[in-house]
Amino acid sequence: MKADLEMNLIHDGRDWIVRSEKLEARGENFADLDEDLKRTLRDSGDYPQGSHLTVFMGFDFDTIPTWLRQYHTHYFNRFVAVDL
Amino acid sequence: MASVNRKWYDGMAHTEDWWAVWLGMILFGAGLLSIWGVDAVGWMAKTKTWEWTKFWDSPSFDSLLKVSHGKEGKAYEGMSGIASLLVTYAIFAGLTTMGAYFQRLDVKKFFMGFTILFFITWGAWIAGHEAHFKALKTTQSVTQSEIYGKDVYCTTKVHKCTGQINKALKKMGVDAKGGQAPTPEQAAQAVSESKNAINMSWGLQLGGGFSYMLALAVGLLIGNFMKGFAGFLKEAAKPEWYIKTAIVFLGVKLGHMTIKSTTYALDLALTGAAATFVAYLIFWPVVYVLGRKAFKLRRDASAVLSSGISICGVSAAIATAGAIRAKPILPVAVSMLIVIFAMIELVILPTFYTAVAPNQPIVNGAAMGMTVKTDGADAAAGQILDEMMVSQHYRNTGEMWEADWILSAAILTKIWIDVFIGVWAFVLSLIWVYKVERKPGQDHVRASEIWFRFPKFVLGYFIAWLTYVALVIWAPEAAKAADSGAKVVQSPMRKMMFMITFVAIGVITDFSKLKGMGRLATLYAIALFAIIAPIAYVVAWIFHNGMVPPMAVEPTAVLGVVGLG
Repeated sequence: MKADLEMNLIHDGRDWIVRSEKLEARGENFADLDEDLKRTLRDSGDYPQGSHLTVFMGFDFDTIPTWLRQYHTHYFNRFVAVDL
Repeated sequence: MASVNRKWYDGMAHTEDWWAVWLGMILFGAGLLSIWGVDAVGWMAKTKTWEWTKFWDSPSFDSLLKVSHGKEGKAYEGMSGIASLLVTYAIFAGLTTMGAYFQRLDVKKFFMGFTILFFITWGAWIAGHEAHFKALKTTQSVTQSEIYGKDVYCTTKVHKCTGQINKALKKMGVDAKGGQAPTPEQAAQAVSESKNAINMSWGLQLGGGFSYMLALAVGLLIGNFMKGFAGFLKEAAKPEWYIKTAIVFLGVKLGHMTIKSTTYALDLALTGAAATFVAYLIFWPVVYVLGRKAFKLRRDASAVLSSGISICGVSAAIATAGAIRAKPILPVAVSMLIVIFAMIELVILPTFYTAVAPNQPIVNGAAMGMTVKTDGADAAAGQILDEMMVSQHYRNTGEMWEADWILSAAILTKIWIDVFIGVWAFVLSLIWVYKVERKPGQDHVRASEIWFRFPKFVLGYFIAWLTYVALVIWAPEAAKAADSGAKVVQSPMRKMMFMITFVAIGVITDFSKLKGMGRLATLYAIALFAIIAPIAYVVAWIFHNGMVPPMAVEPTAVLGVVGLG
C-alpha cells in the first residue's frame, strides 16, 4: 500500500524528526511528533480541512553509527494515519 | 542520500549483509567453474607449516606459502608462494573495495585499512604456522612412542605423515600397516625418509588454533593500546561482513559434510531449532524480568538488553530497539557492551569447554552457538574450539576427528537463532505499538519489517549448501569436478576470512568502553554467565550428549591394529 506522503525519520538525540522535500516536523515522543506533523500539514495549505492522510516514515539508517551498520540493516518504519 | 527500507530489494546494493552474499556467491561461482575444467580460484595462497631453524638456514617465501591450485589448475602450478599471496591480495582488495564503494564507505580509507589488515592477518597466519606452535605429533609418535620416540611431529595432515612413514618402512620390508612393529632404528630411518615428519625437542601442538589466537591478540593490542591506529583501520575493520562471507563459504563445506553424514547434519539442524526456542522463549523472558525487577531498568532498556544477551547480540539489540521504537542511542550503548562481552566469551569459552568437557565436542559447539553473541565472535569461538578440541583429542588418544564439525555445530545453532530475529522483532513491535504504547488508529506495523530484518547472508549460506547437495544428488560427475574449486573456497579462502575477522574484531573491541556502564554491565555479566551459559549447556547436552565428529581417517586404516595397542 502506497502512503499519501513519504517522509524520512531520524532522531537527533533529543527529538524525533520527520522530513520530506517541503515539510519538517519534530517531537520528543511519537505523540508530539504526530501532533506537530498534523499542525505542519494543516499550515502547509496543501491539504484541506477534514483530509485523511497516510504517512510513511522510513527511518534513515545512515544516522546509525557506521561501525554498527554491519550488524543489522534496518531500524523501523512507521505508517501513520493523520486526520486533519 | 538516506538509507530507508521501502521495497523488498532495498539494501541489496549497499548493505554489508547483502555484500556478504555477493562476495560469497562470486567466489563460490568461480569455484564451480571447475565443473567445466576452469580453475578460477587456484591462485589462492595458503600457508605451509614451517620450522624456524630450517627457515633460518635457507630463508624463502616458498617455505612459508604455497599456491592452492586444484586438479584443474595446472596453470597455477609454477606460481611462487609470494606471487600467489600478491594475487590473493589484489583480488580480495579489489572485491572488498568494490563492496565498500557500494556500501558508501570512504573508499580510500577502506582500501588503505584493508591492505594493512590483510598483511597483518597473513603475518599472524604465517607466524602461527611455525611448527613448534602448530605441528601435531605423528600418529606413531602418539601411540607407539616406545618405538618411534615422543618427538616426531608432522608438518602436514598427520595421516599423510603416517602414510609416508609406513611407506618408508615397507621399503625396508616392515609391514607396519599390517601390524608388524619396526625396530627403533628402522622407525628412526623411516621418519628421516618421510617428507613431512620432523624431530623437534618441543612442540605446543595447537593446530591451526594458534594462528587464530595470535590474530585476535594482535587485533586486541591495536584496539586497546594503539587507538589512533585502530581509528585509522576502523573503516575496513568489518568483522561481521568478513565472517558472514566466510559463513557463505562454509555452506560449501556443509554441503560436503551433509553428503558424508546426512543424519549428523540433520541432527545439527534440528538442535538449532531447539536452540531458537530456548533463546527466544526461555532466555529472553528470564533476562527481561531480571532487568525490570532486580535492576529496575526501564521497559525499553530491559527489552533491548534482553534481546542482545539472549538472542543474537548487536543485531537483536538493534532489531528490538527498532521494533519498540526506542531512541537509537539505546541500542548503540547496549551494542558496545555486547561487542566487549562477546570478546570476553571468545577468549574464555573455547579453553573452558575444552578443559571441562573434552569428550563432548558437539555439545560444546552447540552450547557455544547459543551462548556467544554476534556472528563474528560465535564463528571465531567455534573455530578456535574446533582446532583446540581436535588437536587435544588427537594428543590424548591418537584419534583424529574430522575438522569443522564442532565449528558447524556452533554456526548452525547460531544461524537458526538469527533467522527468527525478524519474526521476534515483529511480535515485539505488535505488542509495543498495539498494547504498551497504544494510540488507537495512528500507527501500523507492516509484515515487511520481518523481511527487512532477515539476515540476508543466510541466503548465501543455504544457496551454497543446497547447490552442492543438489549437484551430488543429480549430477554426481559434475560434483566430483566441482570438488577441486570447492576445496579452495571452503578451506583457504574461508580460513583467510576467519583470520581477517579475528584481527578486525580485536581492532574494534575497546575494553575501556565498559567504564560508566555499571548497572547494564553487571546485569549482562550475571545473565550471561549465571543464566544463559548454563542453560545453553544443558540444552546442548540433552540433544548432543556423546556425539563426536566422524574420524578424519580411521586409525586402523593407516596404522594397523597392533599399532593401536
